[in-house]
Amino acid sequence: MESKLKLSRIHRIVEALLFSAKEPLTETQVKLCLGEDNTEFDKIIQDIEGFYKEIESPLTIRKIAQGYKMAIRKEYKKWVARLYQKRGQVHLTKSALETLAIIAYKQPVTRVEIDAIRGVNSDGPMKTLLEKGLIEIRGRKNVPGRPMLYGTTKKFLEYFGLNSLDDLPDIKEIQELNQQSLFSTNENTPPENTEKIFNTQTSSENSQ
Amino acid sequence: MGYSVKLDVFEGPLDLLLYFIKRDEINIYDIPISRITDEYLEYLQLMKDMNLQIAGEFILMAALLIRIKLQMLLAPDGEDGEEEIEIEDPRTELVQMLEEYQKYKKAGEYLKLLEEENLKYHPVNVEKPAVDIDVDLFLSDISLYDLAVLFKNFIQKTPKSKLYEIEAVRFTIDQRIQQLRSFFIRRKKVKFNELELDKKNRLEIIVTFLAILEMVKNGELGIHQERNFDDIALEYKNGVEIETVANT
Repeated sequence: MESKLKLSRIHRIVEALLFSAKEPLTETQVKLCLGEDNTEFDKIIQDIEGFYKEIESPLTIRKIAQGYKMAIRKEYKKWVARLYQKRGQVHLTKSALETLAIIAYKQPVTRVEIDAIRGVNSDGPMKTLLEKGLIEIRGRKNVPGRPMLYGTTKKFLEYFGLNSLDDLPDIKEIQELNQQSLFSTNENTPPENTEKIFNTQTSSENSQ
Repeated sequence: MGYSVKLDVFEGPLDLLLYFIKRDEINIYDIPISRITDEYLEYLQLMKDMNLQIAGEFILMAALLIRIKLQMLLAPDGEDGEEEIEIEDPRTELVQMLEEYQKYKKAGEYLKLLEEENLKYHPVNVEKPAVDIDVDLFLSDISLYDLAVLFKNFIQKTPKSKLYEIEAVRFTIDQRIQQLRSFFIRRKKVKFNELELDKKNRLEIIVTFLAILEMVKNGELGIHQERNFDDIALEYKNGVEIETVANT
């Protein structure tokens, strides 16, 4: 790989934006901030990520919800977690995840349809998901009673580290894979280059 | 075989059935309905014994299982294959429900893995905490005056409390008359303002005033005021009359 130790000014500006952005940084935002139509956004991101890899930076750039988000590599999670110890991480409950899975795959979907699949009332998990902004009301279904239709949000993509809904494996694929292979398959076929760079980084770190 | 499972791990009746199927390595397309119904009902009984509230959905499933069991009992024993083909397996509906549920149960498990993986990446964000809280609360362009106006508007908009505090009546006019009499025994002349009243307690002032008027009416007390709004001078007449008044 060619040396990328020297990043141009534009790289550094994009890096600054990545640092500051709360939500995944989009190409539109970058164009707006730079005041010019730079079409090489993806290339710039790749250069920065390559640079990070080269200097063994704890930073990485992930493609999430059609944008880029800067994060600390997961190898450092252990230490960062200690810093935020008191807050703790709130995971979604089994019922919330189940409900969310139905919505993600069947959206737009009504509450009655969700309940029918789960065989139980889903009011509780639905409320949680709405409060967390992971799902939203998409309108009403044109059937008697005009029930509300629900779908997933951009925050859903961010929460699960997905670039788009297309990143979710086919529902049939999930059935065929057992959970272990499911997980590793997901890692071995990363949707983005950033992940690939990250994987090689892992091996080089391990060899040290 | 005892149940060592936690009762709350099941999301619903379908989840519970899937648990039995997996545990007993049952072929989902050939569920021994009698056995699974027994197991299911046994579990419901266990929940009952533990005083757990059984959701309606569990009862509904019990009804479905029993119905399927009955249908299978009533169905003619397929001695030759022909008859079996004509009659739909009563378990079909249940199998479809289980399959559909299992699909999304697994999808939920997959999301769980994604969640765990994503939580490993701590997001980088150097924004100012002030901005992080709420954009609406960003106060840079707001002066003290603006805040004062906002506060006033806010107070005015705040609906008045529907709750009112009612103070217990601590003294009646009669009680106050008695108190004033004992006071006047020590001091014959006094100005109204010199009576040590709780200025904040309107009721006390009013009751005292009414007590004085009552005493004036009875001829116990003389009152005098120089001008409007002047302090009122009170003069106690004599102790003998008091007794007569008090007795009437």
